[in-house]
Amino acid sequence: MFNLLRNIKAKTRIMLTGDWLIVIASSVLVIFLFQHLWSHEHATTVQIRLGDTVYGTYSLNQQRDIHVKGTLGNATISIINGKARFSQSPCHNQYCVHQGWLSRSGQAAICLPNQLSLELIGETKHYDSLNY
Amino acid sequence: MIVATCCIAILGFIAYNKPPLYHSQSYVFGTLVDISIYGEPEDRAKYLSNEIIQDFQHLHHQLHAWKPASGNQISEIGTLNLAFASQRKPLNISPLMVEILQDATKLSKKSHGLFNPTIGHLIGTWGFQADEFAATSIDNQKIAALIKANPTMDDIVIANNTAYSTNSSVKLDLGGYAKGYALDRAVRYLRKQHVKHALINIGGNIIALGQHGDKPWRVGIQHPRKPSAIATLDLLDGWAIGTSGDYQRYFMLDGKRYCHIIDPRTGYPVDHTQAVTVLIPPQAPHHSQAGVLSDVASKPIFIEPAENKSKIADAMGIKYLMVINQSSQVFVTQEMQNKLTWLNQDFKKRAHVQPTTQH
Repeated sequence: MFNLLRNIKAKTRIMLTGDWLIVIASSVLVIFLFQHLWSHEHATTVQIRLGDTVYGTYSLNQQRDIHVKGTLGNATISIINGKARFSQSPCHNQYCVHQGWLSRSGQAAICLPNQLSLELIGETKHYDSLNY
Repeated sequence: MIVATCCIAILGFIAYNKPPLYHSQSYVFGTLVDISIYGEPEDRAKYLSNEIIQDFQHLHHQLHAWKPASGNQISEIGTLNLAFASQRKPLNISPLMVEILQDATKLSKKSHGLFNPTIGHLIGTWGFQADEFAATSIDNQKIAALIKANPTMDDIVIANNTAYSTNSSVKLDLGGYAKGYALDRAVRYLRKQHVKHALINIGGNIIALGQHGDKPWRVGIQHPRKPSAIATLDLLDGWAIGTSGDYQRYFMLDGKRYCHIIDPRTGYPVDHTQAVTVLIPPQAPHHSQAGVLSDVASKPIFIEPAENKSKIADAMGIKYLMVINQSSQVFVTQEMQNKLTWLNQDFKKRAHVQPTTQH
């Protein structure tokens, strides 16, 4: 253990400016990548709720259309490459379809007339509930 | 090594023993009701949230402005509205209705009439009294006539558990009050049941009880044009938050957006504001409660044009305020800014901090 420390001390003494730059640059890169890729809000699954029950939870890592029969009629929820959306709905105003793609954890789309909701779920949740 | 293993075991045990978060969703008041209860056994949490939902359904049937309560049976508000329209004979009303009407009258006065729950006819004319409303042709003459009739809360006379109206154009629509009232009732019920931690969300209006484990409940504020949150804030015990927006109920006609918030002075939907968010601290007993205020107070501020917004906020006693105008500019009071954590960098850069008006 002490040998190792002494070794590091000896090695750092002979390091040049360029070496230090590389050490610093790579540290910055590692921190940046860590923040960007690791602790991020990219969602992993989408939870579909129908009325007061969970209809199903699906991985976002697939390409798939899910057909759900809501209180009003059939709706289609599409999943492609980490994103999900309402792609078709029998409701009148089509607010849910206009919401577009959801990709981050915590994002949600609700279709009130059809009583269907989508919520993206990831490692971290930014908040417990949404004010809208 | 041994110490590390013990630590991991202890942490694992704590995680395993963590009181579960119970979460339920259902549809009441024509919107999504979301209840989170923390720190109660699952069976009890489930029972309590079912009780709350049942109470909400009961309230909804009693207060609904345009739907019969069940089958052909009309709601208490419906009966009252029929009586207001036809005669001046006092009608018996429930103690709950007395309480609501008196409180709503006080708030309407405070808002200089901009919170006006008697403009049901106007709201109906715009087509917003329907679950599935469509773009309506705009009947300017009818709107003008309804404005001239000038219904206000002061037209309603309440005495000895009866009510009548001195103005036949009064039609109650508690759409901007009922959800907030329901929040206060739910919190009162949960406290009585000794529940320490819960978060209740009715169609975007949220009230907090206790906190989420060792951290406060955290809520996100919706982007008015995108399916994501622009900011988060910690909602402390007894606090409530509400937003009025032009994106929840609206229709498009000839490329123009008509939202469900109608200026009772003109009879037309407000078009200068995208969203108004108010944060309400716990209130003293025998005053309008936090839930009701979170529902009611955002409306007058939404309706007033930019130059009068802080004045009306003052009149309503609102300190924590965020306004997003039609060009997506954000104005926040210093008090609100201190509470917010921005998630959307565009909004963060564009946010103007405004001092609250001083007296």
